[in-house]
Amino acid sequence: MPTPSLRPLLIAASALILIFAAGFAGLYSIMQDSSAPTPAENNPLSKRTKTFNAQSYTLANGLQVIVIPNHRAPVVTHMMWYKVGAADEPHGQSGIAHFLEHLMFKGSQDMPPGEFSKTIRSLGGQDNAFTSQDYTAYYQSVAAEHLSTVMHMEAGRMRGLNPPEDHVLSERDVILEERRQRIDNSPTARFNEHLRAATFINHPYGTPIIGWFHEMEALTWDMAKAFYDKHYGPNNAILIVTGDITGPEVLDLAQEHYGDLSPITVPQRTRAQIPPLHGQVSLSEITPDIQQGQISLMFRAPSYTQNKNMSLALDLIQEIMSGGASSRLYQSLVVKQKYATAISLSYNGTALNDALISVNAYPAQGITPDTLKNAILGELSSLATDGITDQELQTAKQKAQDAAIFARDSLMGPALIIGQAMTTGATLDSVEYWAHDIAQVTKEDILQAAALYLNPSAETTHMTFGAIMPPSINKNASAASQNEGEPQ
Amino acid sequence: MKNTLLIICTFICALSLNSAVSRAALETKIVTSEKHGITAWLIEDHSMPLIAMKFGFRNAGSAQDTPETQGLARIMSNTMDEGAGDLDSKAFQQALDDQSITLSFGVSRDTFSGTLKTLTRTKNEAFNLLHMALTTPRFDQEPLTRMIEANKSRIKNAMTKPNWIGARLLNEAAFQGHPYALNSGGTLSTLDTITPEMLRAYHKKALAQDNLIIGVTGDITEEELTSILDQIFGALPKQNDLSEIPDLTLQNSGETWLFPLDIPQTTIHIAQQGPSIHDPDFHYAEIMNFVLGSSGFGSRLTESIREERGLTYGIYTLFNHYDHISLLRASTSTKNESAQEVLSLIQQEWQGMLSTPISEGELTDAKNYLIGELPLTLTSTDKIAEMLLYLQENNLSVNYLTQREHIIKNATLQDIERTTQKWLSQPHFLTVLVGKPDNIQPNKEIHDLPNVE
Repeated sequence: MPTPSLRPLLIAASALILIFAAGFAGLYSIMQDSSAPTPAENNPLSKRTKTFNAQSYTLANGLQVIVIPNHRAPVVTHMMWYKVGAADEPHGQSGIAHFLEHLMFKGSQDMPPGEFSKTIRSLGGQDNAFTSQDYTAYYQSVAAEHLSTVMHMEAGRMRGLNPPEDHVLSERDVILEERRQRIDNSPTARFNEHLRAATFINHPYGTPIIGWFHEMEALTWDMAKAFYDKHYGPNNAILIVTGDITGPEVLDLAQEHYGDLSPITVPQRTRAQIPPLHGQVSLSEITPDIQQGQISLMFRAPSYTQNKNMSLALDLIQEIMSGGASSRLYQSLVVKQKYATAISLSYNGTALNDALISVNAYPAQGITPDTLKNAILGELSSLATDGITDQELQTAKQKAQDAAIFARDSLMGPALIIGQAMTTGATLDSVEYWAHDIAQVTKEDILQAAALYLNPSAETTHMTFGAIMPPSINKNASAASQNEGEPQ
Repeated sequence: MKNTLLIICTFICALSLNSAVSRAALETKIVTSEKHGITAWLIEDHSMPLIAMKFGFRNAGSAQDTPETQGLARIMSNTMDEGAGDLDSKAFQQALDDQSITLSFGVSRDTFSGTLKTLTRTKNEAFNLLHMALTTPRFDQEPLTRMIEANKSRIKNAMTKPNWIGARLLNEAAFQGHPYALNSGGTLSTLDTITPEMLRAYHKKALAQDNLIIGVTGDITEEELTSILDQIFGALPKQNDLSEIPDLTLQNSGETWLFPLDIPQTTIHIAQQGPSIHDPDFHYAEIMNFVLGSSGFGSRLTESIREERGLTYGIYTLFNHYDHISLLRASTSTKNESAQEVLSLIQQEWQGMLSTPISEGELTDAKNYLIGELPLTLTSTDKIAEMLLYLQENNLSVNYLTQREHIIKNATLQDIERTTQKWLSQPHFLTVLVGKPDNIQPNKEIHDLPNVE
């Protein structure tokens, strides 16, 4: 199997950031397992069965409660998801959603700064939190008998956050260190940040979740408090509990701890529109700070919420193009043509606004970024013109069904999938019946999705291209392009 | 190095238990095949239609590489799933992919290991593909060259990652003169010299029945496992022909090595000798380590350096257990201007473990966490199989987790103080820095990273 994987780089830089350095790898692997969502048991492609059998309730104050029973071990994971993320930040305050997430550990009415996590550990549990463009979530895993304590603590910081000033300032230093560690120490992470900004021009998805350094330095408690008051309340949140417990038990506890919280006026999530792209948008950097070049093609594409049918087709396209070492991109570009030493295509349809398809590759020695880009576009266009075989479609669907069974083999995985879907405009049923729905995708749907969104000559395709290369490769560039990129 | 760290880190976080885990320990069956006497540890779990198998070959890790063949064991792990028997690379990968079977191999410094994960529906195909990969790997030139190129890309990409540079340099310094100091991922030049013949020769001497360990979890019965063990592993040679690797102690302790790099933040790696997992006081050392730095939030290092001063995003300590040495390590990063301050704060907290011995409260919290956390991590089929393999890899008994719970529950402040005196009283750190730290006088400045080019 190919060793280098490009996806973690981009994920770390842009998709999701956690409050603690540890735990990130773990969470990512869960998310990766579940990235092809969720079907049913024993692959009845047409039977409409639920995957997770989650139960759903709503408290009088608007808090949604989702319960996913799982009795393999006497433990529970408790997650509070807020329908707010970095893309909801006021202009010029980039990073405030993530800064607030850190401050949530810095004390509330009956909880001194830092005590939240220490208390969870003294109960033998683990906790963490993460911020994305569209959601912010806090979670704790504990023995089932401690669920009530955990809910009491989480309710305490939903409306009564109150960190002391000196802790606010030292935590701002912590997020600046986090930014240096994730982004500023890494030439490729900095480059990807700019490519994303060009892809989502005039839209908050182009702003890094962690924030731009100069804006982060100027963040204050007043800004965090205003953001908190506006967005954090029971009717803008979803509670998800998974583990060794039943729906009615969770509902009783949730009523006891969260039932008295007052609802807020939920703000509209209006986002700026992205103008059409004109010309070829590409970003290039040649720097002696790296040794291995990397190229990225980013395509804006419909999210599940925007266009369910096309989103399902794109899920299958991801599987067919990049679902393993026998998939199309790897076989064509790494095995046969040897233009790249590693390649991946990823599509994540869980977004409130436009989703992103990104193709990342390491050019082989002596291959120019353009040669590799054109070869990738060639593969994508053959998908749009020649389509796929019946066999490819069947196998991709079967693999999607299988992925759902594997997704259930985890405590937190199902909660993550459901939380991401429900904070980005999808319903619980859309997750439960994804397996059924994906089985309905046709060859024509795939052809159409490829022709609309992965075809640079179409007006409906919005592509940006980035290449960050070391200088020595550039020196060979003219020779290599005369060669039409023959491997050397 | 990275893989090793990941596994060890997972386990350190995982080493604890409660009654559920004791039950799991009781449920562990040691299964022995009839014909070849191959044994595997098994926990049956029929709640999900899937099976996970983890296996390892002791002493067959990259410590067997020589300076000239650095990366050989790694490349073998990359190529064993690239064609076997009459299936070439593409046909083999297609057979795995199309049936949603995960089969991969990996290598640490000590162990060559593998993992198989399959739905019950495809178990026969999965067992057969594993049998083929283990006993009739093709090692064709095309996939070999492809894997070499992929690894060279990986190395070139890593050469600009401060964390990777720091880990590379730490291995070089800590294990100087020992095979552990070599680059387990190979170097840009040694990788190019690896041939199919070298892979075949290493395969023949490294993978045998007498150094094989196996952990299985999931939807499979004892009877079925008994019969497939012979079928999968029975054709392997009876005995391995690997070199003996000597024990060692930490080298270059007390020294500070700097790799200058023009970045805004300095990455800090620290190592000292640590207790072996078989040390009678090892579980007390786990408690000590929890209070010092392994717990993240609430640990003394995190409180002092992140919470009070905002000097870092994260600071952690962990034990690194190899077959021939154990280390206590700390790692963190901070802006160049505060590197010196963070280094002295670390020294201070080390001393503080002696001058301000841990309190009753700290002891109770540590016990609760170390005992309570294991069931949280044993919530998937893979992770349980991984635990079964880990216990065997470290020569621990089936009852190890139960015994450990007992020892931790009954630990006293005196036990922890004695252990702290032994391990933290004379800190002779080896310190490796990557970045452009202010006011640091290193013993050595390294400009060319050894065993990379």
